[in-house]
Amino acid sequence: MTTAELSRFLFSPMTLVLYLASALFYLRAMAAPKLATVAGADTIDGKQNGPGSTALRWGTGLAVLGVVAHSAHVVVRTQAAGRLPLGNMFEFSSIIALTIVVAGLVVVQWRMRRPELMGFVILGAELTLVLSLLLYANPAPLQPILDTWWRAIHVTTIALSAGIFSLAAVFNALHLLRDTAEQRVAANAGDAYGPSTVGAAQTPVTRDAPDEVDADADQVLDSVPSRIEPDTEPEDEVDHDEAYHGALREVLAQRWVGITYPWRIALGAALVGLVFSLIWWDVQVSAMTAATMFLVTGVAWWAVPYLPSATTLDSLTYRTIAFSFPIWTFAVITGAMWAEQSWGRFWGWDPKETSAFVTWVAYAGYLHARATRGIKGRKASWLGLVAYGVLLFTYYAVNLLVVGLHSYGGIDQTVG
Amino acid sequence: MSKIESSPPPQMNPPVRREPRPPTVSGLLLAAVKENWRRLRTMSTALWLLGVLAVESIIATIVPQEVNVPQTVADWRTGEEGPGTAVSGVIDLIGAYDMYASPLFVMTLLLLFTSLTACLIPRIRGWWRITRRSVPPLTRHLGDQEHVRHLTTDLEPEAAHATVRGRLADRGYRTRDGAADDRGRTQVAAEKGVVVREGGSLLFHLSFYVLLVAIVLGQLLTFEGFVGVTEGETFTDTQIGYWIAEPGRWFGPEDHNGFQLTNDEFRVEWFRDPEFGGTPRIFEADVTVTTTDGETRTATVKGNNPIVIDGFKVHLLGWGYAPRVVVREGSQVVYDGFINTTVNDNGAFRGAVKAPAADPDVGLDVFLVPYAPQGDDGQPVLTGAPWADAPLLAFRSYTGDLQLSATQNVNTLNTELLTEGPRGGLRPGQVVELPGSDVSVEFAELRRWTNFQVSRRPQVPWLLLGSSLLLIGLLPALYAYRRRVWVRIERSADGRTLVTVAGRAFQRPQAFEDEFDEVADDLRAALDTPDLTPASRDEVAPR
Repeated sequence: MTTAELSRFLFSPMTLVLYLASALFYLRAMAAPKLATVAGADTIDGKQNGPGSTALRWGTGLAVLGVVAHSAHVVVRTQAAGRLPLGNMFEFSSIIALTIVVAGLVVVQWRMRRPELMGFVILGAELTLVLSLLLYANPAPLQPILDTWWRAIHVTTIALSAGIFSLAAVFNALHLLRDTAEQRVAANAGDAYGPSTVGAAQTPVTRDAPDEVDADADQVLDSVPSRIEPDTEPEDEVDHDEAYHGALREVLAQRWVGITYPWRIALGAALVGLVFSLIWWDVQVSAMTAATMFLVTGVAWWAVPYLPSATTLDSLTYRTIAFSFPIWTFAVITGAMWAEQSWGRFWGWDPKETSAFVTWVAYAGYLHARATRGIKGRKASWLGLVAYGVLLFTYYAVNLLVVGLHSYGGIDQTVG
Repeated sequence: MSKIESSPPPQMNPPVRREPRPPTVSGLLLAAVKENWRRLRTMSTALWLLGVLAVESIIATIVPQEVNVPQTVADWRTGEEGPGTAVSGVIDLIGAYDMYASPLFVMTLLLLFTSLTACLIPRIRGWWRITRRSVPPLTRHLGDQEHVRHLTTDLEPEAAHATVRGRLADRGYRTRDGAADDRGRTQVAAEKGVVVREGGSLLFHLSFYVLLVAIVLGQLLTFEGFVGVTEGETFTDTQIGYWIAEPGRWFGPEDHNGFQLTNDEFRVEWFRDPEFGGTPRIFEADVTVTTTDGETRTATVKGNNPIVIDGFKVHLLGWGYAPRVVVREGSQVVYDGFINTTVNDNGAFRGAVKAPAADPDVGLDVFLVPYAPQGDDGQPVLTGAPWADAPLLAFRSYTGDLQLSATQNVNTLNTELLTEGPRGGLRPGQVVELPGSDVSVEFAELRRWTNFQVSRRPQVPWLLLGSSLLLIGLLPALYAYRRRVWVRIERSADGRTLVTVAGRAFQRPQAFEDEFDEVADDLRAALDTPDLTPASRDEVAPR
């Protein structure tokens, strides 16, 4: 077995299978009753037993194994190519997926203690990896123009922030889904389940007595509703009953233009598959993509009741994007510096530069929208999703369809 | 006293309804300006403008840009490529072929900066006020805050007050003393994060002005030139020394430096295995630089390593083979020079020889195939490999009128008034006589030529400054959290001093839970006192 074959084997099937299995266990853990609400630290520490915690342990173990296999693949590939594996789209996608999983394990599960989200985090990574298989290229040497430490800085930071933005996109999509369900349930039941949790700004808390003793005080900033800033999370998740869970799923399955929910996602998945078949002209690829899309959207529907509340997901999205935004900014700046160094101009409105800039603008728009009173919750969330769409456009469409100086990221060659 | 008339006489309260005054033009204008200014200042306007900017940029990603790919744009305009002439007309109408210079884009940018300015002026004023004299407000509802802790100490209240204030100031809080109230309780109010968070946000936004000024001034002061230099030859930095020169408006001929650059040797080497054939692995030029003060030095220019000569940066952009071709008519040399050939899609290098000194004019359409080994049948095998291990110079000859009076590409012939003559193929050093004439062609030597870009960009340090400010401002704008802490000091019934600490978070309340505990622990250590109540906020008196 050559190193190239070994690297390929470690990637597919090893990593892919491990991640998929891990995602399934995480999802199983999510549906277990105790984990459905506040996923406590005690569950992670293994103090609590039950199907949920066993599944969670399996999920975590398999995810860690997946990371090990994935990292081994990266190391072997580095050996085979004799360089940092960030030279073409496949390698870039692979690093993005690795970032998603590692960030998920470290931040989402360990720091934030939200293992119930890990199923989707890993599925997001799996999706990225399946897509990257389409771009598979054997390890190859680099053009001299790419062989500089600038590449290490620029490309690594771009991959890192793209990975974190992808993580945010997972939360973002889940937020919109959960929010839709919550709103519909609230509308149907006439607030039987309490006030809508759309946007923290609406948290109905007011103070009776003015807080200030003197005239210096800025009253506006001190009233509680307005001082709940973008990244506020509600303190307690209400433990809802089974009926509420069922209702959340039910409202999403309402007919839409005469099509019921499972058929709708099947239709959507088929459409995405069609788009991919148009790009790659490959039936197998399209079928794989469509199946994955079907799986992911279907699982998302099934999981709606077990997700954290919409408000929590919203604030998670915000915090993840706010974390990634400076990294992306830094990466774009280093990109300009590298361009000045090797192409002799810092900014030439090359398609890739432009779309990196547009991505930046889109996420800046999201952050501003969150800071603006009145555009919280859904509106901002849609903006976040659009921003991620721009990121995907930057990555896939510009690399594959538009010709520019960055076009070395090609499918089956490293030469542009 | 007579009856009192309680209702006022009608004329005392005349109807205030006045005829609406006809609006004056200036009044309307003023109102419109005020209204628009107010709208421009809102965040949602800025967001919309940002959105428009993004959409325009996306269009520019999809539509080919004239500055980047002029040929593709030309093909789109003629309809040879792209969506057709009708769509092309629309694209031209909005100026999307050169989006970043189009009135639409410039207008959006201008509006965005106006809106930004309108947003920033009051914010800067407010921030300045906060910085200068803002003091955290005192509170009457200390026990109602989200985080409360009670401490006791044996220190006198005055000493405890001073200690608390000192500790909080050490932790980066702005503090304020509250005088004793009717029950003799003093208070320390403290706040942090407000100046640095807003300040960071302002710095982030102000950095855009630095970037804008640097870009605009840079466009005026910049110089960019391209020149091809054959190995062994020298070029001088003057206005006419370049093949293509693109000076900014404020860059005059006298701003050229006048240095000389000799291309000593250009090296390029490839991976020669079949799998990655053609990927270059070495790409560099040895040059000798003579500066204006007569100093001479040698340097190597590589793809990622430009050299700098008195503020002028020299980049290595491209290269080609430069065969030396000698054309003789009889015994007279009518052409002797290096041809700067450029590579085409098949891997052959193409160029042209134009010899107007011959009678009639002689033109050669030249193809240099770098690797054309001799096949078994004695004929050269043409390959697309770029290494010059078996170079073959193939040409088509033409005679007639070269039409050199008109501008034309140096590497192509205008064959309109030319008659095609015999063809030939040459190895280095070979001479061939064209049949039916006394013209001979010699492939004398093979060298390489290098395409250098020379640029001066005084704006780069300023851009670097602008982007550094942007990043420096961004971090506190996102991550500096505003927190308030109040401490009340009073003498308790048992004669000790009771210290109550309360806190409130304006952002990231979860993170503040630990932070507050840390502050309270710190104060307790400073006051050297055991804790009276557990830290848990659940046990604080209910609201």
